[in-house]
Amino acid sequence: MNEQSLGQSPGDPRTVEPQTAFEERSRALFQDSVESLSFATRSRLTRARHAALDAASAGRRPWFLRVGFLTPAGVTAAAVLAAFLWMGSPVGQHVVTVADGQSTLEDLDMVASSDDTIDMLQDDLEFYDWAEKDANSEPAA
Amino acid sequence: MAQVALRDPDDALDVVQDAMLKLARNYASRPAAEWRPLFYRILENGIRDLQRRRSVRKRFMTWLPGAKEDPDNEAQDPLENVADSGPEIPEVLMQGQAMEKLEESLRALPARQREAFMLRNFEGLDVAETATAMGCSEGSVKTHYSRAVHTLRDQLGEVW
Repeated sequence: MNEQSLGQSPGDPRTVEPQTAFEERSRALFQDSVESLSFATRSRLTRARHAALDAASAGRRPWFLRVGFLTPAGVTAAAVLAAFLWMGSPVGQHVVTVADGQSTLEDLDMVASSDDTIDMLQDDLEFYDWAEKDANSEPAA
Repeated sequence: MAQVALRDPDDALDVVQDAMLKLARNYASRPAAEWRPLFYRILENGIRDLQRRRSVRKRFMTWLPGAKEDPDNEAQDPLENVADSGPEIPEVLMQGQAMEKLEESLRALPARQREAFMLRNFEGLDVAETATAMGCSEGSVKTHYSRAVHTLRDQLGEVW
Protein backbone atom coordinates (compact mmCIF):
# COMPACT_ATOMS: atom_id res chain seq x y z
CA MET A 1 0.00 0.00 0.00
CA ASN A 2 1.43 3.39 -0.94
CA GLU A 3 0.47 7.05 -0.63
CA GLN A 4 -1.10 7.12 -4.07
CA SER A 5 -3.55 4.44 -3.02
CA LEU A 6 -4.64 6.47 -0.02
CA GLY A 7 -6.07 9.30 -2.03
CA GLN A 8 -3.10 11.62 -2.39
CA SER A 9 -4.29 12.64 -5.83
CA PRO A 10 -8.06 12.31 -5.92
CA GLY A 11 -9.52 11.79 -9.31
CA ASP A 12 -6.94 10.26 -11.58
CA PRO A 13 -7.49 12.07 -14.92
CA ARG A 14 -6.55 8.95 -16.84
CA THR A 15 -9.70 7.21 -15.71
CA VAL A 16 -12.04 10.08 -16.52
CA GLU A 17 -13.78 10.58 -19.80
CA PRO A 18 -15.85 13.74 -19.51
CA GLN A 19 -18.48 13.76 -22.21
CA THR A 20 -20.14 17.10 -21.79
CA ALA A 21 -19.14 20.65 -20.96
CA PHE A 22 -21.15 20.29 -17.77
CA GLU A 23 -19.16 17.29 -16.63
CA GLU A 24 -15.87 18.98 -17.51
CA ARG A 25 -16.90 22.14 -15.69
CA SER A 26 -17.99 20.36 -12.51
CA ARG A 27 -14.84 18.28 -12.49
CA ALA A 28 -12.65 21.36 -12.93
CA LEU A 29 -14.45 23.12 -10.08
CA PHE A 30 -13.91 20.14 -7.83
CA GLN A 31 -10.20 20.01 -8.70
CA ASP A 32 -9.90 23.72 -7.92
CA SER A 33 -11.61 23.24 -4.58
CA VAL A 34 -9.18 20.41 -3.76
CA GLU A 35 -6.19 22.54 -4.70
CA SER A 36 -7.41 25.39 -2.54
CA LEU A 37 -7.69 23.26 0.60
CA SER A 38 -6.22 24.98 3.61
CA PHE A 39 -2.78 24.13 4.89
CA ALA A 40 -4.31 22.74 8.08
CA THR A 41 -6.54 20.40 6.12
CA ARG A 42 -3.70 19.22 3.92
CA SER A 43 -1.54 18.67 6.95
CA ARG A 44 -4.20 16.65 8.69
CA LEU A 45 -4.79 14.51 5.61
CA THR A 46 -1.05 13.89 5.32
CA ARG A 47 -0.89 12.81 8.96
CA ALA A 48 -3.90 10.55 8.46
CA ARG A 49 -2.24 8.99 5.43
CA HIS A 50 0.94 8.32 7.35
CA ALA A 51 -1.02 6.83 10.24
CA ALA A 52 -2.81 4.53 7.81
CA LEU A 53 0.46 3.49 6.18
CA ASP A 54 1.89 2.72 9.63
CA ALA A 55 -1.20 0.65 10.37
CA ALA A 56 -0.75 -1.22 7.10
CA SER A 57 2.88 -1.97 7.99
CA ALA A 58 1.85 -3.16 11.44
CA GLY A 59 -0.80 -5.32 9.81
CA ARG A 60 1.85 -7.33 8.01
CA ARG A 61 3.32 -8.54 11.32
CA PRO A 62 1.99 -11.82 12.71
CA TRP A 63 -0.89 -11.39 15.12
CA PHE A 64 1.03 -12.71 18.14
CA LEU A 65 3.62 -9.94 17.70
CA ARG A 66 0.92 -7.32 17.48
CA VAL A 67 -0.59 -8.37 20.84
CA GLY A 68 2.23 -6.49 22.55
CA PHE A 69 0.93 -3.23 21.13
CA LEU A 70 -2.58 -3.64 22.44
CA THR A 71 -3.73 -1.63 25.41
CA PRO A 72 -4.57 -3.55 28.63
CA ALA A 73 -8.25 -3.07 27.91
CA GLY A 74 -7.67 -4.31 24.40
CA VAL A 75 -5.85 -7.38 25.70
CA THR A 76 -8.79 -8.14 27.99
CA ALA A 77 -11.25 -7.77 25.17
CA ALA A 78 -9.09 -9.92 22.88
CA ALA A 79 -8.89 -12.60 25.59
CA VAL A 80 -12.66 -12.55 26.03
CA LEU A 81 -13.05 -12.76 22.27
CA ALA A 82 -10.66 -15.71 22.10
CA ALA A 83 -12.57 -17.49 24.87
CA PHE A 84 -15.84 -16.69 23.13
CA LEU A 85 -14.62 -18.15 19.85
CA TRP A 86 -13.14 -21.17 21.61
CA MET A 87 -16.25 -21.95 23.61
CA GLY A 88 -18.42 -21.27 20.61
CA SER A 89 -16.44 -23.69 18.44
CA PRO A 90 -18.12 -27.02 17.74
CA VAL A 91 -15.81 -29.08 19.95
CA GLY A 92 -17.60 -32.25 20.93
CA GLN A 93 -19.96 -32.02 18.01
CA HIS A 94 -17.44 -33.08 15.41
CA VAL A 95 -13.72 -33.63 15.15
CA VAL A 96 -11.91 -30.30 14.88
CA THR A 97 -9.71 -30.30 11.80
CA VAL A 98 -6.55 -28.33 11.15
CA ALA A 99 -8.49 -26.21 8.67
CA ASP A 100 -11.00 -25.31 11.40
CA GLY A 101 -8.22 -24.25 13.72
CA GLN A 102 -6.56 -22.13 11.05
CA SER A 103 -9.83 -20.55 10.14
CA THR A 104 -10.54 -19.65 13.78
CA LEU A 105 -7.07 -18.17 14.20
CA GLU A 106 -7.48 -16.16 11.01
CA ASP A 107 -10.87 -14.94 12.19
CA LEU A 108 -9.38 -14.00 15.54
CA ASP A 109 -6.50 -12.23 13.88
CA MET A 110 -8.83 -10.30 11.62
CA VAL A 111 -11.25 -9.20 14.30
CA ALA A 112 -8.59 -8.57 16.93
CA SER A 113 -6.81 -6.22 14.55
CA SER A 114 -9.89 -4.02 14.45
CA ASP A 115 -10.19 -1.43 17.20
CA ASP A 116 -13.87 -1.17 16.36
CA THR A 117 -14.42 -4.78 17.28
CA ILE A 118 -12.58 -4.39 20.54
CA ASP A 119 -14.51 -1.23 21.34
CA MET A 120 -17.72 -2.95 20.41
CA LEU A 121 -16.91 -5.91 22.63
CA GLN A 122 -16.08 -3.65 25.53
CA ASP A 123 -19.30 -1.73 25.10
CA ASP A 124 -21.63 -4.63 24.53
CA LEU A 125 -20.10 -7.47 26.51
CA GLU A 126 -23.30 -8.20 28.42
CA PHE A 127 -25.30 -8.26 25.24
CA TYR A 128 -22.99 -10.79 23.57
CA ASP A 129 -23.01 -12.90 26.71
CA TRP A 130 -26.80 -12.90 26.64
CA ALA A 131 -26.89 -13.56 22.89
CA GLU A 132 -24.58 -16.54 23.26
CA LYS A 133 -26.66 -18.02 26.11
CA ASP A 134 -29.83 -17.41 24.19
CA ALA A 135 -28.44 -19.04 21.06
CA ASN A 136 -27.29 -22.11 23.03
CA SER A 137 -30.48 -22.53 25.07
CA GLU A 138 -32.95 -25.26 24.16
CA PRO A 139 -36.13 -24.03 22.49
CA ALA A 140 -39.17 -24.13 24.78
CA ALA A 141 -41.23 -27.27 24.39
CA MET B 1 -16.86 14.16 -1.04
CA ALA B 2 -17.23 13.74 2.71
CA GLN B 3 -17.34 17.51 3.03
CA VAL B 4 -20.23 17.78 0.57
CA ALA B 5 -22.19 15.05 2.31
CA LEU B 6 -21.51 16.11 5.92
CA ARG B 7 -21.08 19.90 5.62
CA ASP B 8 -18.65 19.86 8.52
CA PRO B 9 -14.91 19.95 7.73
CA ASP B 10 -13.89 18.28 11.01
CA ASP B 11 -16.42 15.49 10.67
CA ALA B 12 -15.41 15.04 7.04
CA LEU B 13 -11.72 14.76 7.96
CA ASP B 14 -12.53 12.32 10.77
CA VAL B 15 -14.47 10.08 8.41
CA VAL B 16 -11.74 10.19 5.76
CA GLN B 17 -9.06 9.41 8.33
CA ASP B 18 -11.11 6.53 9.68
CA ALA B 19 -11.64 5.16 6.18
CA MET B 20 -7.91 5.31 5.47
CA LEU B 21 -7.12 3.42 8.66
CA LYS B 22 -9.75 0.76 8.03
CA LEU B 23 -8.53 0.28 4.49
CA ALA B 24 -4.92 -0.05 5.62
CA ARG B 25 -5.69 -2.35 8.53
CA ASN B 26 -8.14 -4.67 6.86
CA TYR B 27 -7.43 -4.62 3.15
CA ALA B 28 -3.71 -3.92 2.71
CA SER B 29 -3.20 -7.46 1.48
CA ARG B 30 -5.82 -7.15 -1.24
CA PRO B 31 -4.75 -6.44 -4.83
CA ALA B 32 -3.89 -2.78 -5.39
CA ALA B 33 -6.58 -2.45 -8.05
CA GLU B 34 -9.22 -3.02 -5.38
CA TRP B 35 -8.00 -0.32 -3.00
CA ARG B 36 -9.67 2.69 -4.58
CA PRO B 37 -13.21 1.27 -4.80
CA LEU B 38 -12.77 -0.31 -1.35
CA PHE B 39 -11.68 3.00 0.11
CA TYR B 40 -14.70 4.80 -1.28
CA ARG B 41 -17.01 2.05 -0.10
CA ILE B 42 -15.63 2.35 3.43
CA LEU B 43 -15.90 6.12 3.16
CA GLU B 44 -19.52 6.00 2.02
CA ASN B 45 -20.37 3.65 4.88
CA GLY B 46 -18.66 5.99 7.32
CA ILE B 47 -20.55 8.98 5.96
CA ARG B 48 -23.86 7.13 6.19
CA ASP B 49 -23.12 5.95 9.74
CA LEU B 50 -22.30 9.46 10.87
CA GLN B 51 -25.42 10.88 9.24
CA ARG B 52 -27.50 8.22 10.99
CA ARG B 53 -25.85 8.95 14.34
CA ARG B 54 -26.44 12.67 13.88
CA SER B 55 -30.08 12.04 13.11
CA VAL B 56 -30.53 9.84 16.20
CA ARG B 57 -28.70 12.35 18.40
CA LYS B 58 -30.83 15.17 17.06
CA ARG B 59 -34.02 13.25 17.83
CA PHE B 60 -32.72 12.34 21.26
CA MET B 61 -31.76 15.92 22.06
CA THR B 62 -35.22 17.20 21.18
CA TRP B 63 -36.71 14.84 23.78
CA LEU B 64 -34.52 16.20 26.58
CA PRO B 65 -36.15 19.06 28.47
CA GLY B 66 -34.13 22.25 28.24
CA ALA B 67 -31.50 20.65 26.03
CA LYS B 68 -31.69 22.98 23.12
CA GLU B 69 -28.03 23.64 22.71
CA ASP B 70 -25.81 21.34 20.77
CA PRO B 71 -23.33 19.76 23.23
CA ASP B 72 -20.73 19.61 20.48
CA ASN B 73 -20.96 23.31 19.90
CA GLU B 74 -17.76 24.36 21.61
CA ALA B 75 -16.74 27.93 22.29
CA GLN B 76 -15.77 29.56 19.04
CA ASP B 77 -12.24 30.63 18.44
CA PRO B 78 -12.43 34.41 17.92
CA LEU B 79 -9.62 34.17 15.38
CA GLU B 80 -11.92 32.15 13.15
CA ASN B 81 -14.12 35.20 12.72
CA VAL B 82 -11.32 37.56 11.74
CA ALA B 83 -11.57 38.51 8.08
CA ASP B 84 -8.90 37.12 5.80
CA SER B 85 -6.61 39.98 4.81
CA GLY B 86 -5.38 38.17 1.72
CA PRO B 87 -6.15 39.46 -1.75
CA GLU B 88 -9.61 38.67 -3.01
CA ILE B 89 -9.37 37.41 -6.53
CA PRO B 90 -12.73 37.70 -8.30
CA GLU B 91 -12.13 34.61 -10.37
CA VAL B 92 -11.37 32.51 -7.32
CA LEU B 93 -14.50 33.84 -5.64
CA MET B 94 -16.56 33.02 -8.70
CA GLN B 95 -15.13 29.52 -8.78
CA GLY B 96 -15.91 29.17 -5.10
CA GLN B 97 -19.47 30.36 -5.57
CA ALA B 98 -19.96 28.03 -8.51
CA MET B 99 -18.68 25.14 -6.41
CA GLU B 100 -21.02 26.12 -3.59
CA LYS B 101 -23.96 26.04 -5.99
CA LEU B 102 -22.87 22.66 -7.25
CA GLU B 103 -22.57 21.36 -3.67
CA GLU B 104 -26.06 22.64 -2.83
CA SER B 105 -27.52 20.92 -5.85
CA LEU B 106 -25.61 17.75 -5.05
CA ARG B 107 -27.04 17.69 -1.50
CA ALA B 108 -30.53 17.89 -2.95
CA LEU B 109 -29.98 14.78 -5.08
CA PRO B 110 -31.01 11.31 -3.89
CA ALA B 111 -28.07 9.73 -2.03
CA ARG B 112 -27.30 7.08 -4.64
CA GLN B 113 -27.28 9.59 -7.49
CA ARG B 114 -25.01 11.87 -5.47
CA GLU B 115 -22.63 9.01 -4.74
CA ALA B 116 -22.51 7.94 -8.38
CA PHE B 117 -21.85 11.48 -9.56
CA MET B 118 -19.12 12.20 -7.03
CA LEU B 119 -17.36 8.89 -7.49
CA ARG B 120 -17.44 9.05 -11.30
CA ASN B 121 -16.98 12.74 -11.92
CA PHE B 122 -15.04 14.02 -8.90
CA GLU B 123 -12.99 11.02 -7.89
CA GLY B 124 -12.47 9.64 -11.38
CA LEU B 125 -13.57 6.06 -10.77
CA ASP B 126 -14.66 4.12 -13.83
CA VAL B 127 -18.04 2.39 -13.99
CA ALA B 128 -16.76 -0.94 -12.64
CA GLU B 129 -14.91 0.69 -9.73
CA THR B 130 -17.93 2.83 -8.91
CA ALA B 131 -20.14 -0.26 -8.91
CA THR B 132 -17.77 -1.95 -6.44
CA ALA B 133 -17.66 1.15 -4.26
CA MET B 134 -21.43 1.50 -4.24
CA GLY B 135 -22.12 -2.22 -3.95
CA CYS B 136 -24.42 -2.29 -6.98
CA SER B 137 -24.38 -3.30 -10.65
CA GLU B 138 -22.67 -1.33 -13.38
CA GLY B 139 -26.06 -0.76 -14.99
CA SER B 140 -27.31 0.90 -11.79
CA VAL B 141 -24.24 3.12 -11.71
CA LYS B 142 -24.92 4.29 -15.27
CA THR B 143 -28.56 4.99 -14.44
CA HIS B 144 -27.77 6.88 -11.22
CA TYR B 145 -25.00 8.86 -12.90
CA SER B 146 -27.07 9.77 -15.93
CA ARG B 147 -29.99 10.93 -13.80
CA ALA B 148 -27.66 12.95 -11.59
CA VAL B 149 -26.06 14.71 -14.57
CA HIS B 150 -29.45 15.53 -16.10
CA THR B 151 -30.87 16.88 -12.85
CA LEU B 152 -27.77 18.96 -12.08
CA ARG B 153 -27.56 20.33 -15.60
CA ASP B 154 -31.23 21.28 -15.53
CA GLN B 155 -30.67 23.14 -12.27
CA LEU B 156 -27.33 24.77 -12.98
CA GLY B 157 -27.10 25.02 -16.73
CA GLU B 158 -24.29 23.74 -18.91
CA VAL B 159 -21.60 26.09 -17.51
CA TRP B 160 -23.08 28.03 -14.62
